[in-house]
Amino acid sequence: MRKPKLTLANLYLIVIFLLLYMPILYLIYYSFNQAGTMNEFTGFTTEHYQSLASDTRLIRIALDTFRVALLSSLLATIIGTLGAIGIFFVRKRSRQQTLLGLNNVLLVSPDVIIGASFLLLFTMAGFRLGFYSVLFSHIAFSIPIVVLMVLPKLQEMNLNMVTAARDLGANNWEVLKSVIIPSIKPGILAGYFMAFTYSIDDFAVTFFVTGNGFATLSVEIYSRARQGINLEINALSTILFVLALGLVSGYYYVQQQQRNRKRKLTDVDPTNHQKAVSP
Amino acid sequence: MGDKTIISFKGVHKQYDESMILKNVSFDLEKGKFYTLLGPSGCGKSTILNLIAGFTQVTSGDIVLDGKKVNALPPNKRKVNTVFQDYALFPHMNVYDNVAFGLKIKKLPKDQIKEKVTEALRSVRLTGFEKREIAEMSGGQRQRVAIARALVNEPEILLLDEPLSALDLKLRTEMQYELRELQQRLGITFIFVTHDQEEALAMSDKIFVMKEGEIVQSGTPIDIYDEPLNKYVADFIGESNIVDGKMIKDYKVEFAGKTFDCVDGGMPDDEPVEIVIRPEDFVVTRPALGDLTVIVQSQLFRGVHYEIIGEDPEGNEWMVHTTRKAAVGEEVGLAFEPRDIHIMRVGETETAFNARLAEYAVNNGSSVQEAIDTEKGVELNYDN
Amino acid sequence: MITKQNRLLFFPYFIWVGLFVLVPIGLLIYQSFIGLDGGFTVANFVTYFTSTTYLTMTIQSFIYAFIITLITLCISYPTAYFLTQTKRKDLWMLLLILPTWINVLLKAYAFIGLLSQQGSVNTFFDWIGVGRQQLLFTNASFLLVATYIEIPFMLLPIYNAIEEINPSVVQASRDLGANTWETFRNVIFPLSLSGVRSGIQVVFIPSLSLFMLTRLIGGNRVITLGTAIEQHFLVTQNWGMGSTIGIVLIVLMIIIMAGTAGRKKGVRR
Repeated sequence: MRKPKLTLANLYLIVIFLLLYMPILYLIYYSFNQAGTMNEFTGFTTEHYQSLASDTRLIRIALDTFRVALLSSLLATIIGTLGAIGIFFVRKRSRQQTLLGLNNVLLVSPDVIIGASFLLLFTMAGFRLGFYSVLFSHIAFSIPIVVLMVLPKLQEMNLNMVTAARDLGANNWEVLKSVIIPSIKPGILAGYFMAFTYSIDDFAVTFFVTGNGFATLSVEIYSRARQGINLEINALSTILFVLALGLVSGYYYVQQQQRNRKRKLTDVDPTNHQKAVSP
Repeated sequence: MGDKTIISFKGVHKQYDESMILKNVSFDLEKGKFYTLLGPSGCGKSTILNLIAGFTQVTSGDIVLDGKKVNALPPNKRKVNTVFQDYALFPHMNVYDNVAFGLKIKKLPKDQIKEKVTEALRSVRLTGFEKREIAEMSGGQRQRVAIARALVNEPEILLLDEPLSALDLKLRTEMQYELRELQQRLGITFIFVTHDQEEALAMSDKIFVMKEGEIVQSGTPIDIYDEPLNKYVADFIGESNIVDGKMIKDYKVEFAGKTFDCVDGGMPDDEPVEIVIRPEDFVVTRPALGDLTVIVQSQLFRGVHYEIIGEDPEGNEWMVHTTRKAAVGEEVGLAFEPRDIHIMRVGETETAFNARLAEYAVNNGSSVQEAIDTEKGVELNYDN
Repeated sequence: MITKQNRLLFFPYFIWVGLFVLVPIGLLIYQSFIGLDGGFTVANFVTYFTSTTYLTMTIQSFIYAFIITLITLCISYPTAYFLTQTKRKDLWMLLLILPTWINVLLKAYAFIGLLSQQGSVNTFFDWIGVGRQQLLFTNASFLLVATYIEIPFMLLPIYNAIEEINPSVVQASRDLGANTWETFRNVIFPLSLSGVRSGIQVVFIPSLSLFMLTRLIGGNRVITLGTAIEQHFLVTQNWGMGSTIGIVLIVLMIIIMAGTAGRKKGVRR
């Protein structure tokens, strides 16, 4: 129906697409450059990858970053999921709204404010800045993201299932374990995924609460980038890009699988036809 | 086709991805009639509406609207309007703006728009609701806004895509009357899509029964109810008893271990056939007076009637609708007239069926319509 | 549902609300009233609202954020709309969102290379005869990179809002005689405004507080509220003044949120 217009629209999309990818591809391209700059490609080399592999400081920082991301997203997912269930089952509507509002404060606050106020918190409490202050900060800003991912799934859940489980003799814990958690699982997984990426990506908050002895990749890249071009960073971004690509295509694949399964279910669903034939 | 024809499909095929949604669909629709496309979900009935409205295009074949081929005409250029299943009202506009939408697009002067919108709202009994938001309207009211929004453009054809399916039973029945009344008052062609056979029977001038992308049978509600072409149509249109039988010779049919007189002919002798007898055509009598005897297996009180399931000595189950009460385990007789026996040939197409019927009518010296009319008197009082 | 044993499960969440939401805000407010000498004072606010430096900085920061948001919107809306019209839009969307998974620092770093004196853009300028320009550490480069980074965040809510529009409403508009453009103007655009609003929120507020970009790309020429806060907290160690600017930023944020909240017309009353 709209075929003639589609080509122009597609052209626009392709231009945007290229613009969005250009800087990344540029980084990757020059990560193989023999000359140590991002100006002129003088020859292919993997030396920057080799020097990256022998840069123990950077590797330690990378591992630390993943450690913080894995731990913080895991803990944030647990606390956030339970929190979402708590908010969901609050009876009074006004109290629920207040809780939701508080939940969203950290979501809408600029990173700088979060970083500065957490810095105040840790200093006033006499907490030493380092791995734990970064970990706690990451947990703190990931929790509302998890809640945001889990709550819609709770709202989609058929509440009669909970009543039915009660009716069949399940106690609170059993209801939570065998009814609620399984039906909100996609939300929990999405929350974990989002918390993980937020943690990996975060720069501003970490920058405030990291202190001297500890760094994440973002902080390290920042300080190296301020000193100028270093093709080791290019090599690092290539690796991170490939990782992200893998992660995202895995996520897409899982989603696609889920959707196909759903579609198959509706195809098989006999109620439609049956209802139509003998109402 | 005469000059009353407003829309025709000529050998229309529609394919989505790999699957054929419509297979060689052809029909002519006349001006000012109420047509219903009836069939289960996925049978292609909504696709026909989308093709008429212009939301989708045919894979092959032609659609002729008012004598002009419109295969590729965009929806905004067709004098056809649609009432959507979910009403598709604009959530960001109030009732007045929704109804006025089409007229504003046509850039009519403001006072004319106002006049027409007021009139349209009056015709669907929504005067005074102009300033209401859509979210403040009930299901039945939204439905009427949707109808007013379509009708205000004075279309030649109004398409209705299961517009009553979201309403509760009482409202649905009420709207059936209103729609029929509206159609007759305005004289616009209505094409109504539904999977509810009662709706179809109650409102239509002509029904098209569809199955898997094909029109299985078309005719007036009475035609289709009384002379279902095959098991599918019989089953779809109301409840029926369907058993295997054998055509002994013209006007003689054998089933349930007995031979009966019937009113059908024109088939080879000893051809296996299927027999349909509607549950409400049985008269429950004493066993000695019945054409069939059955042992009552179960009985349900259905409000206006009892629904009895009985088993004959051959093991066939018969459903009977009667106002007479019976006891489970009792032996009762079931009496019926020869014309209550509907005979269906296995795998007969609509064209072949019509041809045989016409031939039979000529041979018999009476018209088909006459045969049907005599049956009508008996059966029309059954309508829940 | 909530019984005593259940409360224990939700306990960590409520601890979090207290410790990481309420207490930090309280501390920030408290600190904004602490002077350099450690005493309680309103001097920080007085300084802020009387100093032309601070006020110009605030207005500048606001203008930058406004321009970034506007450009982002102008680029993202058509993108989002065209996306919804394509086949395999899920895949397209995923591809356009994918760059957000790359660390912001790395993207900023890429632009350092692209925009530098000897960088590719300047080589290109030289080649077409424009000649090499100072690109890095200019206002324009800051706007360019900020826009580049924010596009996906604007794209996503608008795309979702357009996707959520009931397709039969669009069909209804066509059915009632509207052509593609009229349908867009009268139906699709008004119904996608909620997405535009949240897009503005998620782009404008962070744009006010970008500090890493101002340092790496803007070369300290551009000073936003974010840069000022970072400066006071981590460089000059004047936490009181930093907190005061933080409070100003929060107030601005609340105003923007209220301004873009929009009356949800006809939705559940």
